[in-house]
Amino acid sequence: MTEDERRQYEEQDKVDGLRRRDFLQILGGSFAALAASGCGLSAPREKIVPYADKTDVTPGLARWYASTCGSCAAACGVLVKSRDGRPIKMEGNPDHPLSRGGLCARGQASVLDLYDSSRLKGPLSGESATTWEQLDAAVVKALDEARRRGKSVRVLSQTIPSPSLDAAAAEFCARHGARRVIYDSASAAAILDAHRLTHGHAVLPRYRFDQAKAVVSFCADFLGAWISPVEFTKAWSSRRRPEKGQGMAWLAQFESRMSVTGANADLRAPLRPSQELAAVVELGRLVAKRLGRGEFAPSAGSLPEPVSRALESAAGRLAAARGEALVVSGSPDPSVQAAVNGVNELLGAYGKTLDIRHPSRQRQGLPDAMSGLIAEMERGEVGALVVFGANPAYDHPESARVRAALKKVGAVVVLSQRRDETAQLAHYTATAPHALESWGDAAPVEGTYSLVQPLIAPLFDSRSEIESLLAWSGRKTSAHDFVRELWRAKVHPRAKGARNFDEFWNEILSKGAVEVAPVEGPSGAFNASALARLRPARKPASDGRFEFDAYDSVSMFDGRQANNPWLQELPDPVTKVTWGNVALFSPEDAKSLGLENGRMVRLGSGDDAVDLPACVQPGQAAGTVAAAFGYGRPSAGPIAANLPTRKLLPIDFDPPGGADVYPLSRESAVAVAVLAATSPLARTQQYDSQTVPFTGQERPLILETTLSKFNDYEVKEEPGATLWPKHEYPGHKWGMAVNLTSCTGCAACVVACQAENNVPVVGKAEVRKSREMHWIRIDRYYGGDDAESNPTVGFQPMLCQQCDDAPCETVCPVLATSHSSEGLNMQVYNRCVGTRYCANNCPYKVRRFNWFDYAHDDLLQNLALNPDVTVRQRGIMEKCTFCSQRIYAAKFTADSEGRPLKDGEIAPACAQSCPADAIVFGDTNDPDSRVSRAIRENKSYRVLEEIGTGPAVRYGVKVRNVSEEKA
Amino acid sequence: MSHSAVSPLRVPLVDGGKDLARVSEDVCSPIEHGPTWMWYAAFALSSTVLAIGFFLVSDQIWTGIGTWGLNKSVGWAFDITNFVFWVGIGHAGTLISAILFLFRQRWRTAVNRSAEAMTLFAVMCAGVFPLIHMGRPWLAYWVFPYPNNMGPLWPNFRSPLLWDVFAISTYFTVSATFWYMGLLPDLALVAERARGLRRKLFRALSMGWDGSMRTWNHYEVLYLLLAALATPLVLSVHTIVSFDFATSILPGWHTTLFPPYFVDGAIFSGFAMVLTLMIIARKVMNFEDYITLRHIDAMCKITLATGLILELAYATEMFLAWYGANPYERFVFMNRLFGPMRWCYYTMLFCNVVAPQVLWFKRVRATPWLVFIVSILINVGMWLERFNIIAISLHRDFLPSSWVSYHPTYIEIGTLCGSFGLFFTAFLLFCRFLPMIAISEVKGVLGYARRTGEAVHGA
Repeated sequence: MTEDERRQYEEQDKVDGLRRRDFLQILGGSFAALAASGCGLSAPREKIVPYADKTDVTPGLARWYASTCGSCAAACGVLVKSRDGRPIKMEGNPDHPLSRGGLCARGQASVLDLYDSSRLKGPLSGESATTWEQLDAAVVKALDEARRRGKSVRVLSQTIPSPSLDAAAAEFCARHGARRVIYDSASAAAILDAHRLTHGHAVLPRYRFDQAKAVVSFCADFLGAWISPVEFTKAWSSRRRPEKGQGMAWLAQFESRMSVTGANADLRAPLRPSQELAAVVELGRLVAKRLGRGEFAPSAGSLPEPVSRALESAAGRLAAARGEALVVSGSPDPSVQAAVNGVNELLGAYGKTLDIRHPSRQRQGLPDAMSGLIAEMERGEVGALVVFGANPAYDHPESARVRAALKKVGAVVVLSQRRDETAQLAHYTATAPHALESWGDAAPVEGTYSLVQPLIAPLFDSRSEIESLLAWSGRKTSAHDFVRELWRAKVHPRAKGARNFDEFWNEILSKGAVEVAPVEGPSGAFNASALARLRPARKPASDGRFEFDAYDSVSMFDGRQANNPWLQELPDPVTKVTWGNVALFSPEDAKSLGLENGRMVRLGSGDDAVDLPACVQPGQAAGTVAAAFGYGRPSAGPIAANLPTRKLLPIDFDPPGGADVYPLSRESAVAVAVLAATSPLARTQQYDSQTVPFTGQERPLILETTLSKFNDYEVKEEPGATLWPKHEYPGHKWGMAVNLTSCTGCAACVVACQAENNVPVVGKAEVRKSREMHWIRIDRYYGGDDAESNPTVGFQPMLCQQCDDAPCETVCPVLATSHSSEGLNMQVYNRCVGTRYCANNCPYKVRRFNWFDYAHDDLLQNLALNPDVTVRQRGIMEKCTFCSQRIYAAKFTADSEGRPLKDGEIAPACAQSCPADAIVFGDTNDPDSRVSRAIRENKSYRVLEEIGTGPAVRYGVKVRNVSEEKA
Repeated sequence: MSHSAVSPLRVPLVDGGKDLARVSEDVCSPIEHGPTWMWYAAFALSSTVLAIGFFLVSDQIWTGIGTWGLNKSVGWAFDITNFVFWVGIGHAGTLISAILFLFRQRWRTAVNRSAEAMTLFAVMCAGVFPLIHMGRPWLAYWVFPYPNNMGPLWPNFRSPLLWDVFAISTYFTVSATFWYMGLLPDLALVAERARGLRRKLFRALSMGWDGSMRTWNHYEVLYLLLAALATPLVLSVHTIVSFDFATSILPGWHTTLFPPYFVDGAIFSGFAMVLTLMIIARKVMNFEDYITLRHIDAMCKITLATGLILELAYATEMFLAWYGANPYERFVFMNRLFGPMRWCYYTMLFCNVVAPQVLWFKRVRATPWLVFIVSILINVGMWLERFNIIAISLHRDFLPSSWVSYHPTYIEIGTLCGSFGLFFTAFLLFCRFLPMIAISEVKGVLGYARRTGEAVHGA
């Protein structure tokens, strides 16, 4: 445009009254978030290699890249789906030696964190934006200043099992004479301490649930959120396959609250935290007796009768499975953990079911170091503190002290993706990228390495932690080069098979992970004398107080992903509560306190007291109260604050859900005061039993049998009489087998489906109105003789059953739902007028209606939408499609390659994500397909078969490994 | 004018010793001299309620069905309850005008016009709900089998909702035709009596009625034929409406009892509504000589009879839930009796079963305000009956995991009120601008049993 033309346009603008530039600014404002990065959506600078060995990018075709999940220290392997240059879905990497294709709900949801528009847009000095040059200069100056004044420099982080980041931090520490302090919001310090006591060195074992035939767990929610839940679920579920004819591993859980693991246990006994030591010691004594050993340890107290009885049978199972037995505990008490080590030693578990020579590198934080640091800060001795991968101002039990202490530090430098509670107290904030934007690596257990590779150039002006730490150490290098050099020096030499490094590097980029020769650590001889002096850290609660048990929940963990709407709306697998934590009480205590669901209670007293809605939890140990970490974050972002995302909608505003229980977790017992206020729970399941009131009928939804009866179990198929001709399925007939024995209810499938199918989030007020949109939900039923105090639990993933004679299909007046020749109930969104008749007539209640136009006005977040799936308008019905887009994509690929579809080529999002491999999808017309075999082998039945709907989803009967006298 | 064939026990159908001119004068009075203050008061109230309802419905269409209290399990509640309720109301009008005509029940002449008008307005009210309950009401025309270039894509002829579309549109068309045909002689009469615009308007509306014997002859034949055509609709429309539920698989809906049960309930509720309206109208419009206590008495007897049939249906439903041994069905009924919304069921039982029993007493039937109370209770009870069937069956069905509660929002309640606003506004406009009583028919029965009646009653 020439100068004359420009002037002419500007003159015209003045005449028009609306400056064109203003208009463009308004227009551009919508894309401000993207524009802020200055580069929008572009490929990362360095060369990355897709999972499949093709490098061309075709618009409209998805590519999968292997990387590592950055949600927690478990560092599961992921495959990231990239479509037109943007990552839109994360799935488990089947080639990863630990997670083996599974990925948990938080991992699945982390792709949405990438597109969180409330992340930091660039580096900050104080509260104001700055440039990296200025920030680096200021930080280096502050660090030098601290040393000049004779004050210390400290580096604080949680455990991040990344060798490169460790190396960068070490380089930083060397340059500035700093010391590194590690703490963990979800700590395993007691296990480390206990091994120091019993084996002479602090080590977190690698637990090998795949080697275990009998497991006894004391409060360790290893199928839920404990250390590495995906790895553990994969391993554990591989031993829970009665159909393979090799028996079935057995699990007993002693715990105060009903955890996911407890819900899956064959034997469960409620146990107060203060009774844990006595219980473990008693177990040790019983096992020792059975194995004919000397006394294990002096008894540490008496136990209630049901616990003793359960310990008897646990001891029997463990002793019988010697060498294939494992005892684990999630207790924060080193004495309990030492006793657990003692039992494991008795059982010959070391080197078999738990490995301390090739230990885990997760959760290495020790509380002493952290308390030392806090004290040092309080004394004003810390001149500069660099914090990365941590948010101690929120997720530490002493967070109030940390906040006060941070104010006494000369310079606080925080490397963070968001302006979280800690970053708000920082003098300098170096914006960190999301795991999908950065280079990195992970070695969560000894000998297993994986790479983190960026799928997209940083959306905001962020810089990898490695680069920042190196820059402040006076070394300008890219994270990519640093990781690569480290791998060249440290990893490649240990790799099996001689290859040159470039080949090796490219292969790992493509495959994601590698197992190299492990460095063996010391085994350490077991020191039995440690068991003689065990003292419980927790005393029983007295004067009407309750023992308090704060736990990491499956969806919120330590709160680091609190601004993730998928996770906020993910029902807790057990309580089914969304959008906030609750105080869990046993039915017995609730009765005596006069509590009902949603009644507010005040836990604790003084400054640490929190108000939470009560939730009556069958199976909760009487005299205890439990609440989840991760909620009540003051500065997590607009979603965690539950601000209405769309102001035009008449969706009620609810105050932020839940409360922060970190400060309270220091207490072992809390006072409970019942308040007058109520706050209705946003719960997705209101009725908890298969046995209905009034008639007392037990509905045959989850069918159960025991291991010994499994082989003789017969599925009664009773398709009712019909007047209609059967549907013809000449080609494929899609079907699904859900194995209720292996399903743990972990809810990974729920988020996987949400991500894959653009399922909207509706918010707390709408969940309260029972309007959640999940296409797959996990029904959870309590049963058994003790349905109140200690129920048995069944999980049943419920999704569209794709019925042959679907009740929904006949009633739609406009044919918006119809039957495909491959057995799918197809929902035609643009034909639907929204009468909801189909949903009324659906016996499985899996259809979901768009009551409003759900929020899609965060343009950045919309980049996470799957372009293969329609975003539904308000007023129409939607439901599970068996991921029909994946079916079509696979058929298209097979067609274009001129071959028939292969069995197993199609995996709906739920089946793919399942860490327990409980869901198998395929063609039931083919009797040899995996799904057909799974249906036969798992003795599968159809839910509500008697009403003649003919579902295509079959549930493998739930097998419990219980002793016959109990069954 | 004497009818010597009438038994001396018969009583006249019209009180007050009216002559032919007087009838015309009385019935045309609201048209010619304007209504009473009570009409204005009633109109102000009903049109206000209508306006509020209109506003609420607009808001709901603008923002979404989410403004209602429905949820993942309860997909229908107030909306379809209102629909079934209003369709049911309409049935009494058709029964009075068509079936009683065929059965030569001459007392119907005083009430048939307004009962038919009631039918029309009730069907209009009913028709609103299937439209506005849709998620995307702007695409409602897709339910009609119109030629299109989408394939062509026809509606789903297997869907009971589509059958509803045909049933309701047929019903409305036939009822409107029947009603309008019956109006023709009276429209001509009003035109004759009027001047100016009204004369021109009514002349045009009367479609050239000339009062000749030939015209009367055609009219009588046509009226008889239309009555015969409308008669099966009394049975078919609510039968088809009941198919919405009966052909589904939901326990509490899926039952073969529904067609007769619904038809009877419709007539029951319809007569209650006719009673409500007539007891007000005869007072407000000064028609007590035409809509006499004997009319009320007769309608009370029909209400009582249909009410007894309905009670049999309730009992049958309960018996079969137990006897049928279908655990899901049994639970639904136990849930009605003992579940969280049991008060709906008990209120319904009181209104529909207990309250109508007072109609056994002649003294009650002769006391309009008592009958009025009973009729209101029946209206409430019949609305609750549909709510029981629809919402309470849905809120706890097969999978206990999906059991939810349901709470209506003010929008739903306001929309229900608004439908009453629409109904009464339309009815009041009809009272004001059209002859509310079939003048020509009343004149035909004016002399009926007059002499014997006078002898017996001395009035």
